[in-house]
Amino acid sequence: MWIYEKTLQYPVKIKNPDPALAQLIITQLGGPDGELGASMRYLNQRYSMPYREIVGTLTDVGTEELGHMEMISTIVTQLTRNLTPEQIEKSGFAPYFVDHTTGVYPVSAAGVPFDIKYIAVKGDAITDLNEDLAAEQKARTTYDNLLRLIADPDVCDPIRFLREREVVHYQRFGEALRVVQDNLDARNFYGYNPEFDKKS
Amino acid sequence: MNEQRMLLGRIRTANFIIQETALYLDTHPRCQKALSVRRNAVRERDDAVRLYESKYGMLTSCSANAGDRWSWVAEPWPWEG
Repeated sequence: MWIYEKTLQYPVKIKNPDPALAQLIITQLGGPDGELGASMRYLNQRYSMPYREIVGTLTDVGTEELGHMEMISTIVTQLTRNLTPEQIEKSGFAPYFVDHTTGVYPVSAAGVPFDIKYIAVKGDAITDLNEDLAAEQKARTTYDNLLRLIADPDVCDPIRFLREREVVHYQRFGEALRVVQDNLDARNFYGYNPEFDKKS
Repeated sequence: MNEQRMLLGRIRTANFIIQETALYLDTHPRCQKALSVRRNAVRERDDAVRLYESKYGMLTSCSANAGDRWSWVAEPWPWEG
């Protein structure tokens, strides 16, 4: 069960609208390496994970990612406030605007709607944790790419925070993978799948 | 029924009343009856959570009662039945 807390994980206060930038940043909500996919990936992988502490990691990181969805959506919302029709047209925001006005709809930077195929749940502890490690790095690269394109310090600041969280999550998932391997036979990590097979 | 299950049942019941009154109050913010039902449920939840956590470990990852050892991952997850 979840309880909603009425505060962002890290504050977002953007003074100047920039719809073109919003259209890029929204990829971290609905794009292939975005926060929506991240939270669904971890929260769905939990159920068959046989190690309690790793269920903890998946639960807690997956929950934090829900908070990151809220931060990205807040950034997008603040970047698209008080727009004039002229700004919408000149910025290239018009195609999104026609379909969604200034509502927040999970799409990638290229406008592709969110697809659950962005995530994987393989039901094998080693495989899933490697997916998670790669996912955190892909999200980190996306934030790095965004940071190359952002000049406004109001936007950079929360994006830098989110980027840093990817690095921390990568670290935690690395430890989780080590816990899994410590529980397996070091001579053959792939001898059995701890999420399915009984230990012989 | 053991005490742990009984306490989780009390918490679940109180949570549901809190959830249901919140939904109702979102669109009926002045309803005194709903506010009163909710107040009792919040009190009941607080009591049950305090008792549960003192005996069986953390109910949320931001519990005040973490103790000397992190119990968050030690207790069964809800889908373990």
